[in-house]
Amino acid sequence: MIKLSRRKAMALMGGTVAASGLAAPALAMNKKIKVGALRFTSHSGNFVAFERGYFAEAGLDVEFEFFQAAQPMAVAIASGDIDYAVTAISGGLISLADKGAIKVIGGALQEEAGIDGQKYLISDASYQAGIQSLKDLNGKKYAITQAGSSFHYMGAKMAAAEGIELSYTPLQKVGAIIGAMKSGQVDGWSIVPHIAKPLAKAGAWHIVGNVADYIPDYQVTTVFTSANNAANERGQTESFLAGFSKGVDDYAAAMIDGTADQDEMVDLIHKYVYTDRERAKAAGSIINGTMRISSGAALNLGSVQDQLSWFQSEGLVGKDITLDTLVDSSYVKTIGG
Amino acid sequence: MSDTSKRTVAFRGGGFAPKPQAWIGVMVFVVLILVAEWGTRAGWISALTLPKPSDVLETFRQLYSSGLLFQHLGPSLARLAVGATLGVSIGISVGVLIGLFSYIRSGLVPVIAAIFPIPKIALLPLFVIWFGIGEGSKYALIAFGTFTPTVVATYGAVDNVDRTLIRMGQSFGLSWWSIVRKIILPGALPGILSGLRISLSIAIILLVAAEMLGAQYGIGAYILEAGSLYDLERLFAGVVILSLLGVVVSAVISFIERRMLGWRS
Repeated sequence: MIKLSRRKAMALMGGTVAASGLAAPALAMNKKIKVGALRFTSHSGNFVAFERGYFAEAGLDVEFEFFQAAQPMAVAIASGDIDYAVTAISGGLISLADKGAIKVIGGALQEEAGIDGQKYLISDASYQAGIQSLKDLNGKKYAITQAGSSFHYMGAKMAAAEGIELSYTPLQKVGAIIGAMKSGQVDGWSIVPHIAKPLAKAGAWHIVGNVADYIPDYQVTTVFTSANNAANERGQTESFLAGFSKGVDDYAAAMIDGTADQDEMVDLIHKYVYTDRERAKAAGSIINGTMRISSGAALNLGSVQDQLSWFQSEGLVGKDITLDTLVDSSYVKTIGG
Repeated sequence: MSDTSKRTVAFRGGGFAPKPQAWIGVMVFVVLILVAEWGTRAGWISALTLPKPSDVLETFRQLYSSGLLFQHLGPSLARLAVGATLGVSIGISVGVLIGLFSYIRSGLVPVIAAIFPIPKIALLPLFVIWFGIGEGSKYALIAFGTFTPTVVATYGAVDNVDRTLIRMGQSFGLSWWSIVRKIILPGALPGILSGLRISLSIAIILLVAAEMLGAQYGIGAYILEAGSLYDLERLFAGVVILSLLGVVVSAVISFIERRMLGWRS
């Protein structure tokens, strides 16, 4: 019989714990984490993973924290109030990464040929006054939420391609921009299709271009977390990405590839998005808002680099920030870069 | 008797009389800034919590040397000047009318009380529709924000004018207009000016709100941009400019007080 000294027993126990920890990172720990989300269809990956129990399977007890805008979400990650979130790359996000607070760990929403993407718009009042193509927007008021937002980036890329100058008009909120576009206070804007299309039909504005034509392979939103989670909580972060990816795959199967029941998926998403509207009305918007969320949270590094370089060229973030400061590319498959 | 005459009693009076110590205020600022500088350099204040004061100074210097400072300061000062002039002049007129006429008082005081607590920022989208996204809505917001506190301070000051002076003027046979011009208005001036300190500070606060919508340049727009970029150095540089504006406004009012209230001493 093997004699088991106290020291040996301790070593054995320690070894077992370490081994199980290495094998199945967060599994069976039922770890409580907080995930930040906006009530947009583009966050469906999280909603599906939660509703269908993919997070629970990965050993995570997820609690959603809902936000009104992307910017506060980035700050909440930095302050440690939430663990993971999905949002567009903005100047604020890059600044926080530069301060060593957050890291981009994966990709989410992306533009893809064949799937309706974000649109460039011209307000009806301006359209009637003869501004009918993007080139005509030269010197006109172009709505953005804030300097350094994704709207600013999309406008600037279009302006550079068309060789025109835009007068960027910060209006803070998407709601305020929609109001200003309707009343003709601003001339141009870009937005996701499920907002663009219904109001174009109603005559508030005219769709004059696709963002995908000006910014190919645009990585619109990314998955990000605190620098601490990325560096020291590897298991938990991998578990989160695994659950999230399963949710994304289900979403794509139902909404884009048509290999799963779309109605059921719409029901699920409707629990989180457009909750103030009845199912029949919300369904149209949810289906209209379908965009590709990258499978396996793959990240297009080329697009991220392009966005980073643009923010730097505009003097919105420090010139010495590198891609490595912003991105931890060890978690997911990367494209380009 | 001889016993008690020998006992000396220490003088217990004095104190409880604040005397101005000119350098202490400056010292407090210097110490606070030095502690922040030391903390951020040593690392026990993280870059996420506070910017380095020396970096803020450097940002400020760049802002000045690139000429951007005046590009931002110009529109903001114009908005402050136009908005505050409108709000304060209408506010003083309405306040004096409320102070003088019972009907106007009964009619307007409830209205003023009703609009005072409205957060003017909440009305910003409405102002954009009424006055356009250009300068109009910004003037209107600042004017509206300075109007109500000015009215309240003004009619309060008119109410506080010494009634015995008015009765004396009446005994000497002064006309109603003379009493208003020579007794009520000068008597209300100290109260009106101290009310101005509050309303002009509110104007500076509202500057940031006014520049939320559709402003490319302006101190408020600069601060909002720095906030959305999480650029703490620029954020603090902007906040310092607002503080300095406040100090300047306060100094200007002190100057006016000395000039116009010389009769008090």
